[in-house]
Amino acid sequence: MLARMSQTDADTLRRAARLAGFDFAAADLEALRPAIERALEALARLERLPLSSVEPVTQYRVI
Amino acid sequence: MASLHWASVADLARLIATKEVSPIEVVRGHLDRIAALDGGLRSFITVCADAALDAARAAEADLAAGRPLGPLHGVPIALKDLFDTAGVRTTGGSKILADRVPAEDATVVRRLRAAGAIVLGKLNMHEFAYGPEGRNAHYGDARNPWDAAEPRIAGGSSSGSGVAVAAGLAPAALGSDTGGSIRIPASLCGITGLKPTYGRVSRAGVLPLAWSMDHAGPMTRSALDAALLLRAMAGYDPGDPTTSVLPVPDYAAALTGSVKGLRIGLLRSLFLDASAPDVREAVERAAKALEELGAHVDEVKLEHVAHVAAASMAIVASEALAYHAEWVRTRPGDYQPDVLERLRAGAFVSGVHYVRGQQVRVLVRAEVDEALAKRDVLLAPATPIAAPRIGENETALGDAMADVRSSLIRLTRPFNFSGHPACALPCGFTAGGLPIGMQVVGRPFDEATVLRVADAYQRATEWHTKHPPLAGR
Repeated sequence: MLARMSQTDADTLRRAARLAGFDFAAADLEALRPAIERALEALARLERLPLSSVEPVTQYRVI
Repeated sequence: MASLHWASVADLARLIATKEVSPIEVVRGHLDRIAALDGGLRSFITVCADAALDAARAAEADLAAGRPLGPLHGVPIALKDLFDTAGVRTTGGSKILADRVPAEDATVVRRLRAAGAIVLGKLNMHEFAYGPEGRNAHYGDARNPWDAAEPRIAGGSSSGSGVAVAAGLAPAALGSDTGGSIRIPASLCGITGLKPTYGRVSRAGVLPLAWSMDHAGPMTRSALDAALLLRAMAGYDPGDPTTSVLPVPDYAAALTGSVKGLRIGLLRSLFLDASAPDVREAVERAAKALEELGAHVDEVKLEHVAHVAAASMAIVASEALAYHAEWVRTRPGDYQPDVLERLRAGAFVSGVHYVRGQQVRVLVRAEVDEALAKRDVLLAPATPIAAPRIGENETALGDAMADVRSSLIRLTRPFNFSGHPACALPCGFTAGGLPIGMQVVGRPFDEATVLRVADAYQRATEWHTKHPPLAGR
């Protein structure tokens, strides 16, 4: 089970973005924060689905 | 000949092949109409007038010389401005690619030209296809032609395609659909728009939004016309490894006009029940009409659809940002604000989130397949609302206010997610005269049955024959 991203303050978001290779200004992060919080909450709900035996559609096929 | 701009692709192809009308007359007539009306409608970004007339003259010479003709010989079409068009700027509706001129046609463009179609120009769209409203800060918002009093959105992202076909500026257009971008403008503009099965139509040479959710498809004024275009476009392409080797049937030949004995699953929960009352009533009347034509209609529920929004966001946000990463870093100011916000949100989706999304995809696909194992097609509204005003972020949906953006995409996105073919077509009008659209969803690679249902409904009704007031006569 993924740990919830309980902190979505600007500093946490800035660090998360930097890990992904992006350097967003504080004002931009603040503007993004409500949408990010909603998205992360929705994504967290997916953890409740029975997915442990479901192979994702990301298969690589040589032929 | 009067009203050539309202003629169907099928009729134009026949009239041209039998020399009752000249392709030059057809193309010139459409170019004149574009010149007269598109200043207010803003459906085109680039009009290829000289090239189109040159192609029309060549088409006429072919006719005179008795050379073999393709099924779309001399028929004009227009292309959403993310389909690579050789020698013509292909902007993606963006400032960033404003001067990009590809050397080669996208595969589907090449195939349509080989079938004889003539490109009128490149159509407006939501910037980089990343929005269901069809807004564009660089080239202006395409305007829905159904409301002469108030500016309304055309829907997106294939906004220009929806407007051009609805307003008689082109008999057919190409669109792309990642979360609904063919079906949403089809619904809001009162035309027919087909999102084929994922892998039915090549995406080679099509600017991507999200590779695993993007679909290319035709936007027309009838299911028959969609069938004709799909036949020309579809098929395996080594340039797109996701395309299927399954043979391409003669979709038009499958339009028998009969739905007798066909089993239709009406999607009430999460679809009809999530729609405005007038949309719900129009789709219910459509289901009744199909029953009267001999189909059997029952109700079916897709439980996992409730998870599509989050799961598909993880996929689209990640894939879109992967494509745009360098521009987001170096040219953020060149994006329109809503697109930049959606792109930046992708930075907060982890790899695990992305895989979860692709796992949920398996559940949703299996559920839709199961529903279609006992039925031939599913039926639902295409959009839960009719076209909101430009600039409205919230709109009335029943007794409550709803977010426009998420409302527009809610009912179409599940079938991008699952990959099943889905065709939007008009099924009524609101009291205010705005189109209402429904969608017919079929089994993978069974576009023939989807189009057969749409065509049978269109033979029995007249919604698809109505013309918007802004488009004049």
